Amino acid sequence: MKISTSVLRRFVEVPDDGRTLRNLFDDIGVEVKRHDIERGLFTLELLANRGDHHCYIGLAREISGRTGTATCGPEYATLTSGDSPHPLVIETDLCSQYSITLLERNGPGTDLSADELAPLDAAEIHSVSPAVDATNLANLEFGQPTHCFDADTIVGPITIRRSRDGERAWPLFAEERVEVPAGSIVIADDEKILAIAGVIGCEESKATKDTTRILLESAAFDPIAVRKASRALHIHTDSSARFERGSDVSQVLVGAGRVVHLLQGHGWSSSMISGVVGSWTDEQRTIALHTEAAATFLDHPLDTAEICDRLGRYGFKVAESGGVLSVTVPPHRVWDVEFTADLYEEIAKSIGYNDTATNLPPVDMGALPSAGDNAKAEVEDVLIGAGFYEVFTNGFHGTALREKLGVSEDHALWNHVQTTNALDRGYGLVKNNALAQAVEALACNVRAQTSPIQMYEWTRTFHPDATAANKVCTERHLLWAIADGNIEPNRWADKPRHASAWLFKGIVEEIGTTLGIPLLVGPADAHHPLSDCLHPGRQAAVTLGGKTVGVLGEVHPGIAKAFKLKRSRPVYLELDRNALEAAPTVKRYAERSMHQPIMRSLAFSLPPRVAAGDVVNLMMNKGPEWLEQVDIVDLFAHDDSGTPMRAVTFSLRYGNENGDRSADSVNQASEALIAAIESALGPKGVKLRA
Amino acid sequence: MNVDALLQQFRTDLEAAADPAAVEEVRRTHTGKKSPIKTSFKELRNVAPEDRTSVAAALNSASETITAELEMATKSIAARALAAQLNAEWEDLSMPGQATRRGARHPLTVVENRCMTVLRRLGFDLVDGPEIDTAYYNFDALNIPEHHPARDMQDTFWVTGGLLLRSHTTTVQARVLASKPSLPIRIASAGRVYRNEAVDATHLAMFHQLEGLWVDRGLTFANLKGLLSFIAKSLYGEGRIRFKPKFYPYTEPSVGVDLACALCDGEGCEACHGAGWVTILGAGMVHPKVFKEFGYDPDEVSGIAFGLGTTRMAAQWAGVSKVKSLYDQELAVLHDLHRPPAGGSK
Repeated sequence: MKISTSVLRRFVEVPDDGRTLRNLFDDIGVEVKRHDIERGLFTLELLANRGDHHCYIGLAREISGRTGTATCGPEYATLTSGDSPHPLVIETDLCSQYSITLLERNGPGTDLSADELAPLDAAEIHSVSPAVDATNLANLEFGQPTHCFDADTIVGPITIRRSRDGERAWPLFAEERVEVPAGSIVIADDEKILAIAGVIGCEESKATKDTTRILLESAAFDPIAVRKASRALHIHTDSSARFERGSDVSQVLVGAGRVVHLLQGHGWSSSMISGVVGSWTDEQRTIALHTEAAATFLDHPLDTAEICDRLGRYGFKVAESGGVLSVTVPPHRVWDVEFTADLYEEIAKSIGYNDTATNLPPVDMGALPSAGDNAKAEVEDVLIGAGFYEVFTNGFHGTALREKLGVSEDHALWNHVQTTNALDRGYGLVKNNALAQAVEALACNVRAQTSPIQMYEWTRTFHPDATAANKVCTERHLLWAIADGNIEPNRWADKPRHASAWLFKGIVEEIGTTLGIPLLVGPADAHHPLSDCLHPGRQAAVTLGGKTVGVLGEVHPGIAKAFKLKRSRPVYLELDRNALEAAPTVKRYAERSMHQPIMRSLAFSLPPRVAAGDVVNLMMNKGPEWLEQVDIVDLFAHDDSGTPMRAVTFSLRYGNENGDRSADSVNQASEALIAAIESALGPKGVKLRA
Repeated sequence: MNVDALLQQFRTDLEAAADPAAVEEVRRTHTGKKSPIKTSFKELRNVAPEDRTSVAAALNSASETITAELEMATKSIAARALAAQLNAEWEDLSMPGQATRRGARHPLTVVENRCMTVLRRLGFDLVDGPEIDTAYYNFDALNIPEHHPARDMQDTFWVTGGLLLRSHTTTVQARVLASKPSLPIRIASAGRVYRNEAVDATHLAMFHQLEGLWVDRGLTFANLKGLLSFIAKSLYGEGRIRFKPKFYPYTEPSVGVDLACALCDGEGCEACHGAGWVTILGAGMVHPKVFKEFGYDPDEVSGIAFGLGTTRMAAQWAGVSKVKSLYDQELAVLHDLHRPPAGGSK
């Protein structure tokens, strides 16, 4: 709402200084969006529940409540309810009061004065005609929407009723007739709809400059009905904004009286008798209030007289009976004042939110982060220590992203929870995987020539599931990370170290160690939904207690290509967050013997598709109990008669707990291991290297 | 026995020695068992008795001289060798350091953690809830009935099955109240929220919030203000704050907390668009209808609810003017937010 300081002064005393007035607006909960100091204009953002703020008198009342200065308003004609100047029929209880007043013009009439039009100028509402200007002024000043019909266009009685199926109207400014949502409140005559109640008038009955007989409508309509019609028709007017928030029924004839008063000064006349229909009666809602309780709640000294004074400024009437105050809610506040808490707010506003006491309640004990929060922080430390940056992606994406994954309709990643009203096509699918957005984010960074790219996110994915508690989907909390490029670019003296699946394997191992949970990286799990999205020969499953809790590997080249990644070979890691919150189970420390262990090295040539890990497992299984550990310490590729081989060196640590382990026994154990491996893996091409 | 010649030879050899190994060789040659001086000592018995004392003295003197000069030469050579080594080992330390560079948490997480550090001091636990939720928990239970204008404040993403993407983390508060835990309730909820808005530099369809709820017997408006002051000062320091009336459907009375602009201290300046204040918190006393909805007697219990726009806080603290850039996954931006530019940048 745009208002003028000089106009506001017609209603209430306000500070001369613009800055002080601005602070006063803030103090009463009216937000200033813009302040034109030179012209004394304010653009205000009004509270969503305060329809009564949408006019000068409403703002004045709020200022008065805070400052205690009296309000006053512009003059209006006193209209009385009597014989209707036109037949009126009301057929719906969604209109609590409806009035029409006849205005007639005999001569040419004159325009409203600049002084009268000042509120319109401030609000940047163009002057149309004296009649229309007057209705707009009444709305701005008193918050009562009114509307002028050309009385000579109306055929038969004016009926306030619900619209029928398929009924059409021609709203003002529309190029053609539109269908009115069935059940909307409409004002109609025998032939046509004259207005969509509370929203907008219609072309066929509008008052023009040539109009000499006006039927002035002033009414109160059901907020929800107006709101539904306004939204359905996509027509939002000052009137609809006012009615949607609940209007002041007691102002129906006051608003009309203001229009009559304005037009009477410009060549129009009225009998001052209005036709009024509707079942409204002032409900006189009362709320009980205890002075002591109010004083305690606000921690502010209050007595009954002060409460009466402060609430009175806002229009409340207070009566005392048996130590309890009975507060009557004025008609303009029945929409938002219902509870004692509402009255506390009024009293607090009147005192000033900054002038009541401030008192931190006592706290017995602080709280500690949960185990899950601690685990999250520790995992982050691992990732951050390895150079990863945290990012955030959206919870949804468009179908184009799904297409880039190349999954078919029978794939687990095809079905999504879908948004049904997204303004943007890119928000159609609620994500069921994090990989697509991860690769997209990576591709953006590649295009920006950023390197290396190391990102992670804690997010959740949404999986359609009719058996879920909400019958729609389950939510899965997960951690993902993606990497590409030389991950240690500052190590300029060394060979570039490109991100690879081993990076994530190492990170998983570090996470497992840090959290004390036995995360294992093992053979790929073909049932994992992302299995098809990763390189078939460069992926692994992450397991915990035999259950797959994650996946890692190189992004499938086909997907990388779909994201136009020409030279990048990104690698991806995903872990279930719940798994990371598992209770620690790994024994962290075993006392070592005071005697040095005995070390041996064995090197084997492994052909393709024989995993070094299998050799390690075989050694640990077949070796003596005192074979404590087997590590892979070296690898180089070589060619064996055209077969690409990998020479892998294993370091074996034999325990020597009592210091009596002989070299011979160790050598015999190693020989036995060589035999076992050659027996088991020799047929696959594994050979001992001399 | 010519001691002088012996000494002369030693000095000639020593002078020729250019490195520690050569000096060591001279040492072996001139002080070893078969060295001239040792041989001369052995031959003393062949010297005439009357001369033996003086010759022995001369030999002793020569031996001491050799030892001393060898010592000096050793030190000198070592010093020269060290100097040469140091010279040869010069490193250009203007080259970048080689430790693995750490990454960083997102500024939003940093803000969230900072908030939780403050709230945990007051006994708040962090709780989680679904992002896809029902209209009941997102609206109806929070005193936002269908067709209420307040629903316009939070244009909603509806999803299949009549559910929605939560438009605020207050859904978590509602779910906690519905579970009827014992009093006092002190919980915080943080995370993503969604608004069906056209995205631009300052409007997002997904952003972050952090909210808190404190329910107990006897909490007052003064307590609300005390709590908000504590949070504001803990997070923002001792700058001036002010309270102002606001409207939130689920609280009554509702409060906004403003922080004085750091540049103009509330007077209004270009940086704060003349406002003088920046809103940092929205809060209020839990609305009686919300309590009634979940079976609490609002005459018996009262509650404080508050919300922090962590996205805006992160942008403010990071000095980012367009919040969208926080969600663009641009590593260059995150990198620059985390660490100063490397040498060579202007």
